[in-house]
Amino acid sequence: MSLPGPFPVGIYAQRLQGWMRERARVQLIGEVTGVGRSKVQAYFELRDSQGAVPCAIWLNDLEKAGLPEGALRDGAELVISGGPDYYPGGGQASPSFSFRATHVRLAGEGDLLARLEALRKQLRAEGLFELQKQLARPLLPRAIGVVTAETGAARRDLLAGLRRRGWGGTVVWAFAPVQDRHAAPAITAAIQGLAARPEVEAIVVTRGGGSLADLWAFCDETLCRTVAMLRVPVVSAIGHERDTTLIDDVAAVACSTPTHAAEAAVPLDCGDARRDLQRSASSLRRAGEGAIGARARHLAALARGPARALQRERSGLNQKIREIRAASERGLAERGGFQRRIATVVLERARRRGIERATAAVAVESRRGAGIERSAARSLQRRQEALRRAAVTLRAHDPERTLERGYALAETEAGEPVTSADRAVAAAAVRLRFADGRVKAKIEGDVEREAG
Amino acid sequence: MSEKPDSYEVAVERLEEIIDRLDSGQAGLRETLDLCREGRELVNYCAAELEAVGAGLKELQLDELAARLDSSASPS
Repeated sequence: MSLPGPFPVGIYAQRLQGWMRERARVQLIGEVTGVGRSKVQAYFELRDSQGAVPCAIWLNDLEKAGLPEGALRDGAELVISGGPDYYPGGGQASPSFSFRATHVRLAGEGDLLARLEALRKQLRAEGLFELQKQLARPLLPRAIGVVTAETGAARRDLLAGLRRRGWGGTVVWAFAPVQDRHAAPAITAAIQGLAARPEVEAIVVTRGGGSLADLWAFCDETLCRTVAMLRVPVVSAIGHERDTTLIDDVAAVACSTPTHAAEAAVPLDCGDARRDLQRSASSLRRAGEGAIGARARHLAALARGPARALQRERSGLNQKIREIRAASERGLAERGGFQRRIATVVLERARRRGIERATAAVAVESRRGAGIERSAARSLQRRQEALRRAAVTLRAHDPERTLERGYALAETEAGEPVTSADRAVAAAAVRLRFADGRVKAKIEGDVEREAG
Repeated sequence: MSEKPDSYEVAVERLEEIIDRLDSGQAGLRETLDLCREGRELVNYCAAELEAVGAGLKELQLDELAARLDSSASPS
């Protein structure tokens, strides 16, 4: 063995005491547990979630520290000043280690805030703030769990908030102390108990305002880790608006008052929802009836369409027919008049020519016939032939023949041919001569001149 | 969709979609009638959900609930 010694243990114990007392003096902050007293000093442990140190303070130092009456109690958050010490014991007495406090004070807001900030930083770094916020919160839970003090305004305010929502579901209470050293474990157990019931769809954790020390249970690391890992959304409403406890960070929703917590736990305003639903139902009814009604009307209109179109076409056609009839009557009349006029003129000229030619021929023949007997007999036949031809020609131009073909001859009452429209108008009355007879006709209106 | 919706919010969301679609006037007759039928089912579901929390607030303590649920499956 190359180690030094062996040394007498008592010497070592005293040296150890000396070494401990040379350690740096520091301040520690933590929660007091296991307070005990002897005649000369008070004992307790100072702990947080990561560890603990046994502490001792001489009663006269404790007195000088001027703590309020009863402040050194389990659950108190203390800041102690001092350093490590070792009691070497003796022949009969047991040795012990303790942190020798020479001064003690209640942890102030600043101390707590510093601790809270460290814890907050750690939980945030672990991602525990996000877990609850990712949970779906039911709009209309049938049952919610509530962790709060059995007596207190928070309970009453929460109920009032729920009623104002028009919500008549089930509230499952899990009462717990909210302010002493038992608070954090009791609250944790209550939350877990509620979360274990499948019908509980959301959990509210609430208490009224107070100092950060009063609300300290809601910054408990174990409590907050538990809440963060729950699959049921937790709504926190701890203290007043300016108070931010750690449970507010890990919860799905942090509210400033129990009334707001009620609204967060039951996001749906049931009264509004009933009205909205009625509106939706009416919309649907209207849409359904409208869809049928509008289409039925449209169909009816379409069904009427063909009849209306036919009617429209029919009157259009009738109009056209009337126009065409009128036009053709007008056209026929015009054409007929023109033809009659031509016929009259042609016939008249032809008749005169025929008569003149025949008369001349007879005159020539009779003049010659007397003197030239020889040639007379010879030419008689020729002349008779010519006469016959003239008669044929004449006959070809005979108005009577023309009349047989459908033409009519306009004559005055005196039997003179009416050869122009002007004369016809002037005569006012004419006779139309057809092949089979005459009829009287009245001339109406003025002359309609031939275009071109 | 004649299946029961997953939750009130899902039902309401779908209902709003349906009404928006109907209000747009772009749905044909067949779609309109289908949407109206689906919408009515959703309205009925939502009405039943509201009905379930319309009877008046009930209060229970966790241990009472536990005792009650041990004998029957439903809290009311």
